[in-house]
Amino acid sequence: MSAPALAPIAPELLAPLDTMLHAASPEQLTWLAGYVSGFRAAGAPRAVAPPVAPPAAPPATRTPLTILYATESGNSETLANAARKAAQRLGFAPRLRDMADATVAELASAGQMLVIASTWGEGDPPQRAEAFYAALLAADATRLPGLRFAVLALGDRAYANFCETGRRIDARLVELGAQRVRPIEECDLDYAAPARAWTEASLATLAPASEAAASDAALSEAAVIRVDFARAPATEDGPSAAAVEITERVRLNSSRSTAENWHVEVSLEGTGLRYEPGDAIGIAARNDPALVAGILDQTGLREDAALAAALIDRFDITTLTPPLIAAYAGLSGEKRARDIAADPVFARERQLIDLLTAAPARLTSAQLTGLLRPLPPRLYSVASAPEAVGPSAHLLVAAVRWQAQGQARSGVVSGDLADRRAVGERLLVHVKPNPHFRLPEDPDRRIVMIGPGTGVAPFRGFLQRREAAGARGPSWLFFGARQFTHDFLYQLEWQDWLKSGVLSRMDVAFSRDQPEKIYVQDRLWEQRDALWRWLDDGAVVYVCGDAKAMARDVHAALLRVIADGAGTDADGAIAWLRTAQRDGRYKRDVY
Amino acid sequence: MTNVSRNEIIKADSRGLRGSIADGLADAVTGAIAEDDTQLTKFHGIYQQDDRDLRAERMKTRMEKAFSFMARLRVPGGVLTPAQWLAMEAMARDRGNGTLRLTTRQTIQFHGIIKSNLRPAIQEINAAMLDTIAACGDVNRNVICTPNPASAIHAEALATAHALSAHLLPKSRAWHEIFIDGAPVAGGDAEDEPILGRTYLPRKFKIAIAIPPYNDVDAFAHELGLIAIEAGGAIAGYNVAVGGGMGMTHGEPDTFPRTGDLIGFCTPDQVLAVAEHVVTVQRDFGDRADRKHARLKYTIERIGLATFRAELERRLGFALAAPRAFTFTRSGDPSGWITGADGRWHFALFVENGRVAGPLLAGLHAVAEAHDGRFILTPNQNLLIADIAPERRAAIAAILAAHRLDAAPSALRRNAMACVALPTCGLALAESERALPGLIDGLEADLAEMGLGDDEITIRMTGCPNGCARPYLAEIGLVGVKPGLYNLYLGGAFDGTRLSKLFRRDIGPDAIRACLRPLFAAYAAQRAPGEHFADYVIRAGAIAATTAGNRFHEDLPAELAA
Ligand code: SRM
Ligand SMILES: Cc1cc2nc3c(=O)[nH]c(=O)nc-3n(C[C@H](O)[C@H](O)[C@H](O)COP(=O)(O)OP(=O)(O)OC[C@H]3O[C@@H](n4cnc5c(N)ncnc54)[C@H](O)[C@@H]3O)c2cc1C
Ligand SMILES: Cc1cc2nc3c(=O)[nH]c(=O)nc-3n(C[C@H](O)[C@H](O)[C@H](O)COP(=O)(O)O)c2cc1C
Ligand code: SF4
Repeated sequence: MSAPALAPIAPELLAPLDTMLHAASPEQLTWLAGYVSGFRAAGAPRAVAPPVAPPAAPPATRTPLTILYATESGNSETLANAARKAAQRLGFAPRLRDMADATVAELASAGQMLVIASTWGEGDPPQRAEAFYAALLAADATRLPGLRFAVLALGDRAYANFCETGRRIDARLVELGAQRVRPIEECDLDYAAPARAWTEASLATLAPASEAAASDAALSEAAVIRVDFARAPATEDGPSAAAVEITERVRLNSSRSTAENWHVEVSLEGTGLRYEPGDAIGIAARNDPALVAGILDQTGLREDAALAAALIDRFDITTLTPPLIAAYAGLSGEKRARDIAADPVFARERQLIDLLTAAPARLTSAQLTGLLRPLPPRLYSVASAPEAVGPSAHLLVAAVRWQAQGQARSGVVSGDLADRRAVGERLLVHVKPNPHFRLPEDPDRRIVMIGPGTGVAPFRGFLQRREAAGARGPSWLFFGARQFTHDFLYQLEWQDWLKSGVLSRMDVAFSRDQPEKIYVQDRLWEQRDALWRWLDDGAVVYVCGDAKAMARDVHAALLRVIADGAGTDADGAIAWLRTAQRDGRYKRDVY
Repeated sequence: MTNVSRNEIIKADSRGLRGSIADGLADAVTGAIAEDDTQLTKFHGIYQQDDRDLRAERMKTRMEKAFSFMARLRVPGGVLTPAQWLAMEAMARDRGNGTLRLTTRQTIQFHGIIKSNLRPAIQEINAAMLDTIAACGDVNRNVICTPNPASAIHAEALATAHALSAHLLPKSRAWHEIFIDGAPVAGGDAEDEPILGRTYLPRKFKIAIAIPPYNDVDAFAHELGLIAIEAGGAIAGYNVAVGGGMGMTHGEPDTFPRTGDLIGFCTPDQVLAVAEHVVTVQRDFGDRADRKHARLKYTIERIGLATFRAELERRLGFALAAPRAFTFTRSGDPSGWITGADGRWHFALFVENGRVAGPLLAGLHAVAEAHDGRFILTPNQNLLIADIAPERRAAIAAILAAHRLDAAPSALRRNAMACVALPTCGLALAESERALPGLIDGLEADLAEMGLGDDEITIRMTGCPNGCARPYLAEIGLVGVKPGLYNLYLGGAFDGTRLSKLFRRDIGPDAIRACLRPLFAAYAAQRAPGEHFADYVIRAGAIAATTAGNRFHEDLPAELAA
């Protein structure tokens, strides 16, 4: 990663910073990240910031601006906050709105609006934004003729439905009569720089003419707040990231299993990293050295040791996207590469190495890295509670493996943990708090936990916490996996908790034990009478795990259970569940 | 009775074999059922087991033992229709480990049925008009019968096997309630058990019917051996042998295998009564305190054969006639095509250690789809494709050839049996089913080298001294002691009428081979015409003949006698 061209730092200051960062060891980077956030928190003068113009004098009447965001993991929210601050400096009267709480009707009088929205699942909106999103897309949505807007879409090019949510919002607003003041900005995972540019430009467009002049400088200052170290986002009250030791690493499936789930423990001793059950731990990715070697061979860069090191832990060298292919075809100039660039499905199921193999080209180090996006960290739900396991965090990692191009392939981080890591080695991690996925404050509250596969991880943390606290609230766990005998993750622990009463009930679904497939949603339906009594009694329902199929099917099953129990129709059930979601009784952490 | 064994209390408290099995089946978080219930499910033909190959890793993976259930069919005489075969194959695939295990008692075992599949499995068995009732437990087990459809009296003997099995079946409806209807009668009273009694028998009870000249059932290895005596194409009656059994325990000389005593002859219309009262005498006189001495063989040793016979005849109300003459020629199975007077053909298919899996399973699937006769399981773990009309023979032969099921293995391998042992058998001390084929590879080569390749020698291996493959009645017996080590027994008669004796202790496969080589060589050089290997080693003085069960541990070779 090189410092983005649009960095709000003068080039002469940037160069040494860049050099220093590149030379830094992971530990040094960690320390730096912590240092920078601490420095900021302490309100110290910004030594690295460029000279800043004094804030423009506020205009007499401020222009109202709604900044509407939809977020799952907090990125959009952070950007929306930055935009709010920038807007404030520019003399707007900004109003920050979470789509989770907003209505379409309120937009009719908003006047001007910035929308920042991420995409989840398979082109879905963040879950708490679902109600708004549905209302916006509904045929009878309020028309919005007086609204001027711009959309920033967050996404990940590795997904087929890239930035789908942002795109649909953008198109729909126009359909509803609103005026688009800028084309939509679609961001990949390295969104920091384009987001800043978009914010700057959009505010400039929306700003009253008299204040436009002040905007540049003000924006720069606002944006410097986010010095983005990609893998080490700062947390509120602790160091952002740390290199932690792996203290345990064991495959929980039997040797006969077709699945591979690794229980990984890391020591947080002395790092100051803190987490709550429900949070996730981000692990900085490390690419497979063999793949790095393959890429260097293909591009004729085998001798470049510095590049090799960078490709291991700084660049995404697997994800293949159409823009990458197009850029590569431009560099290569060969017909084969151009043909591939014209093939809309080439990127599907393929990785960078497949492109390099199919259309070899010699590249310079800079050309190669110029094609690549930064390597994003991967998140894993914590499967422990600190009061039960002390200063350590437990993770449950499913090895992602598949066959492609006649080769066995595996996920960058899960494959690394499964195949190349050993106890005693270190991982660079950060804590990703998930305030929306926590146990109820009230220890007597009923909870229903639905977590097949690795989705069960946070619930192990929940039960550890409830056990430590002596909580007496009834709890019900739905778990599922492939085979009872080979994949019953943490079986003995659930049995103990059932015996001691920490866990009141457990239902299991094993899909491959019998001719017909059985999943957790089938168990939900089988247990509908009892389940409805729990729901009706105010139980908090948690769903964690696979977003593609499971969360959808579980959601549908819950709707049926509710319709059946409450004696309502489908719409009634949807309304019931929406209310539950709004009231914090239906929480999902799906990926 | 004072100090009865724990099993007696479990049976007495079981409400007719119900216990809390149904509750145990409903608990989906464990693969096991309550410990006491594991004793009761046996009466329903079901054993709780765990995969011993996985034991070591289970603690690490935070999972309980890899529990599953073994279910054993009750198939008197071993006769199935091809449709039943196909249904059982499908059941094994859908609910078990995908294999069928033909047993030494002419039935099929299914391994690896996890708890959630147990009721569906039993229901699929029931739907195929089969059951698992009393296939295990302290009751009369599957009644076995020489599978020789070429014999004029086979049908009659088979009918007797069915009648005996039905007559001695528990009256309890627990099997149906728990596994089929799924509606246990809460608090329901146990049914009366007029023959077996409220606490059932002290121990398992076994009946075999032999049709001479074949002794494939090992008529002297069971509580009750019935030897059918033919006269004019019908069964004139049965010679009655009582008190046979195989099991013993290493290091406990008061346990031993025993060949049954021939005590008389009964007519076909007396046979049910004879069986019933052998059962009731054992029911009332058997040892209910120590399960290791509870079999009929120990009852007879304890009260004496004369007392036993007197009590039996008192209950029968008549005296048994004198046994009739008969001849046994062999205890192993024939091989290949056989036919009888009626012109129908039968193909005797060798199934190594009874395990039907992989290509064999696929081949038999094809046969079963084409076959309109019967499938008869043999007491040597093999399979007879029976009742092939002359005009159908070529078609079946073609299927067998296409699946390479017609290749004849060596004479030694054809006469070999191994019990299941690891990984499912909880009692196994050493490998058996998975070890014997490799050992035979070596022995086969040695025999061929000495020109004995076509000589039939019986060899049987078990993973522990319980004797499930009847090893003490083989010419070469191998009984597991600990992983990789076996005791070697020699001198069991080829026709199954004489027990073997311990020849070497604690030896591994290489030592077994080294120890047999010189004996094979001497046999090849010195045998009398038609002399079997076991008879030779006795004549040559390598081992003493065992004349009775209670002499099994006597007259050991000098170096072992200590
Ligand atoms: C499958 C089979 C061996 C085979 O490879 O074919 C077998 C397998 C087992 N036998 Fe057996 N026995 C089998 C025929 C025999 C025989 C041979 C016979 O019946 O002709 C004997 C010797 C005869 C006798 O009973 O004396 C036999 C004597 C035993 C014993 C020792 C009993 C005794 O009183 O000495 C046990 C252990 C026990 O009952 O405590 C036993 C127990 C067992 C168990 C159920 C182990 C247990 O109790 O936990 C084995 C299950 C292993 C598995 O994983 O499948 N099995 N067992 C045979 C099934 C017969 C059937 O279909 O009913
Ligand atoms: C909030 C949150 C919590 C999470 N918690 C957990 C957790 O507790 N446990 C857990 O295991 N994971 C969890 N995840 C998922 C985890 O973050 C990673 O996404 C996952 O481990 C894969 O990462 P990777 O680096 O191994 O694979 P990557 O290198 O990211 O590869 C995954 C990619 O592989 C490709 N791929 C996969 N299968 C195929 C195929 N069949 N054909 C072609 N391409 C394929 C796809 O492009 C896919 O996107 C969580 C995610 C989130 C967002
Ligand atoms: C489980 C999961 C599914 C995702 N699905 C998509 C997708 O379908 N399309 C897309 O463009 N981005 C997808 N993303 C990427 C997110 O939109 C991206 O990480 C974004 O920065 C998250 O912003 P937020 O924190 O505001 O929600 C997905 C991310 C995750 C973890
Ligand atoms: S002989 Fe022993 S090891 Fe073999 S099946 Fe019988 S009980 Fe198990």
